Amino acid sequence: MQIYLILALTGLLWGGVYLLMATGLNLIYGVMKVVNLAHGDFIIVGGLLAFSLFTTFQISPWIALPIAAALLFGVGMLVHRLVLAQIDMAGSQGELRTLLATFGLSYIVSNTALLIWGGQYESIPFLQDALKIGPLSFPKSLVVCSGAAFVLALAVQLWLTRTASGRLVRATAQSELGAASCGLNIQRVRLFTFALGSAMAGGAGVLVVLLIPMQATTGSLFGVQAFILIVLGGLGNFVGAILAAVILGLVEVSTGYFFGANAASGVIYLIFILILMFRPQGLLGQRGRI
Amino acid sequence: MISFKESMKRYQTNLKPSWQWIIGGIALVVAIVIAFTGSGDQTQTLFSICLFAVLAYAWNIISGMTGYISFGQIGFFGIGAYVAAICQLQLNSDWYVAALAGGLVALLIAIPLGVIMLRLQGIYFALGMLGLARIGQLIASSSALVGGSQGESVPVVGTPQATSLVMIFVVVAALALTWWLLHARLGLCLMAIRDDEMATQASGINTTFYKVTAFCISSFLAGLAGGLYTWNIGFIDPGSAFNSTFELQTILMVLIGGIGTLWGPLLGAIIVSIIGQALWAQFPQQQQIILGALTLIAVVWMPGGIVSLLNKRGWLRRTPVWATSRREDIPDMPDLSRPTDIPEVPGVSRPAESRGANILEVPDLSWHLADLSAPGSAKSEAPGSATSEAQQTRATVLKCNGLTRRFGGLSALSNCAIQVEAGQIVAVIGPNGAGKTTLFNLITGFDRPSEGDISFLEHSITGHAPYRIAREGVARTFQTSRPFPSLTAWETLLLAAIAKNPSRSKATAQASSMLNKLHLSEQWNNSPEHLPPGQRRLLEIGRALMLQPRVLLLDEAMAGMAPDEIALVHALLKEVVSRGCSVVAIEHVLPAITPIAQHIYVLDFGVTIAEGAAQEVLGNPIVVDAYLGTGEKESINA
Repeated sequence: MQIYLILALTGLLWGGVYLLMATGLNLIYGVMKVVNLAHGDFIIVGGLLAFSLFTTFQISPWIALPIAAALLFGVGMLVHRLVLAQIDMAGSQGELRTLLATFGLSYIVSNTALLIWGGQYESIPFLQDALKIGPLSFPKSLVVCSGAAFVLALAVQLWLTRTASGRLVRATAQSELGAASCGLNIQRVRLFTFALGSAMAGGAGVLVVLLIPMQATTGSLFGVQAFILIVLGGLGNFVGAILAAVILGLVEVSTGYFFGANAASGVIYLIFILILMFRPQGLLGQRGRI
Repeated sequence: MISFKESMKRYQTNLKPSWQWIIGGIALVVAIVIAFTGSGDQTQTLFSICLFAVLAYAWNIISGMTGYISFGQIGFFGIGAYVAAICQLQLNSDWYVAALAGGLVALLIAIPLGVIMLRLQGIYFALGMLGLARIGQLIASSSALVGGSQGESVPVVGTPQATSLVMIFVVVAALALTWWLLHARLGLCLMAIRDDEMATQASGINTTFYKVTAFCISSFLAGLAGGLYTWNIGFIDPGSAFNSTFELQTILMVLIGGIGTLWGPLLGAIIVSIIGQALWAQFPQQQQIILGALTLIAVVWMPGGIVSLLNKRGWLRRTPVWATSRREDIPDMPDLSRPTDIPEVPGVSRPAESRGANILEVPDLSWHLADLSAPGSAKSEAPGSATSEAQQTRATVLKCNGLTRRFGGLSALSNCAIQVEAGQIVAVIGPNGAGKTTLFNLITGFDRPSEGDISFLEHSITGHAPYRIAREGVARTFQTSRPFPSLTAWETLLLAAIAKNPSRSKATAQASSMLNKLHLSEQWNNSPEHLPPGQRRLLEIGRALMLQPRVLLLDEAMAGMAPDEIALVHALLKEVVSRGCSVVAIEHVLPAITPIAQHIYVLDFGVTIAEGAAQEVLGNPIVVDAYLGTGEKESINA
């Protein structure tokens, strides 16, 4: 019986880790209708940056977190200026062109990371001690990561729904034309959103590297996992994403326990394809164009 | 707008493609010479370039020509590689049998996968395919059939010379296949799907069939390449058979070379491989970054890749499909396109010259009414009595019963009943949000009714696919015009013509005749996007008419048209009606439709609030209230 409890809690915690990686992507898609294929590579950059700071300057990941977020914020601004703002989203091929552009971007970012950090897997030995809850114990890093994810997801939801700046972002998300005709500078909102989403990826990377060893070119796996999660939750829906994170975490952890690691990494894709076939709008998404 | 002279210039460059074949032939000879005389390293490089060229052509067919970007075509390469290895190991087959089997198995697997996956669009399809390729890799790693995750050697291994020679011919075959696609029915349908899938369905094309066909061709090529790769390398393992770097490189090549073009994939494969090699010598570390940057540049600033740069100079432009069959001298019925060309009807005054008149003023159309109300007779009866008499004798063509469509809690249409008789012109009017376009979407199968039934020629068509409904004889236009940006005006009409006619000569003759009738002959080689809005709408009506419909549904077809264009549409409708076709028109500009409509339905908030002959309906106080507000009675009847 205890094994099921452990599986359930571990699944929940790992769900949180996936959620952490997906929140930035979700925000960007929700507002801009752009799927950033370089998102996973941004996560890797954040993680490996924290690794370098930790090993060369003994800087704690807690301090590396804002540094990585700020760096990726800048990268996000740059990418939006130079690439995304140049693509006419209204055109018939707009969405596909952003997809291919971020595909090229992913290639650039991952290979730059490879150049800087080399091809070995790196992790930070930090918060490795166990947190005991009654008879159960979990790595502290997992608990922190997961906790941060749920807090972040709720914070984004509250920011979007309860604050004036969040309202500007939601207005842009719902109708760019409408927002623009109310005098909003939508290019600035998009720029800020993309930079913020990228910063979230960087911050997530710092926490995830405590748990999962990272290598420069494994970013696309994180990116795809994040994308699957937000599709399952309903693109751009933050409450749905939390639900999806819990489901994915539970399914992956229990598949891994019963059928082995290969099956665990395959089951995610299987869920993805089943969702696309039977409920393409996701769990809580509105049925829209897909 | 492109002038006639320019369009002629384009026409000439289009039909002067011979030098590209000369250069291609020289490249082929050079490649064959290298294959025979080159060193082992050189021939291996040649093999790799050819392998990527084949993968690039495979990707180009589904993603470039059909518009379904896939990040998982490498999965079919892996399937081909594994099937070839199994054939060699278990069945002791020869290399060519093994490679062909690889291609064929990939094709067979692509059929069910295509039917399922191609229902998805955009990023969903792209990443869904990525997921499938990953699942394929995991299956290959965990099965014990061929070495599992460690891999296994295969017995028959080709020399670099032999493998590169074979690969060169596969490239030539892939090039020829792409050339054929770009000049054939299949390719035309694929390009139309890429531009606008909905409008393609409305043109009577079974888009699922064509998409899946393209997917299968692409998968066969990728699988064949995989089989030949096994033969070349002599070893199989999940990591290299489902190598995602191959996928990345292939996509890079097509994007840099020119997506959706004939020569782009080959140019991309050659240039990226050569640049890659050169960079490898100079900057081994930065090579991949530079390639990524090139892709980004290609996507953002040069969406057509290298080929688009050449296109700007007039080189390598695509020739419109079946352009040589286009004829300008098609014998046709009397030209009805301009008011002045219309044969005189006794007792009816000719229309006033409308050119340059006030846009809001619609030309006097009373001359139409004489034969519209009763086709075949030119007697000038009072319109009202003619319709009521005719209604008793004519057959019902289209009948909607109790149509209801709910979106969540909102009923866009409730319990709507519409009946259209042969040769009748029916207007559907109503304020914005009244459910008019929803009604059209339900009739043409783009949306399903929550309740109710639609019958056409006494058969129920409820739930039929849009392309079937279009072919059976219910054609439509769209409220916002949906042109195919990368097709020409000629191909737009041809697309609908081939949906109806299996024979090429008939289809081209009909498309030519319609082009002349619409007075678009001079614009035949222009993209509909470059036409002025009025002509674009005319083209769309022409596209619907190519289906030889029994019922023509016009969704605000005359909005934004100049008076003389409206007159042209009226003339077209007149001809169509005289052949027994019925017209149902949604219109906001009442004077554009009420003079020719024999029956009017008024919708408001999804409910039919009035119906009847034009005069009764427009005089009905409920209609005046709901539709026009109070106090406007004088102006509508004017």
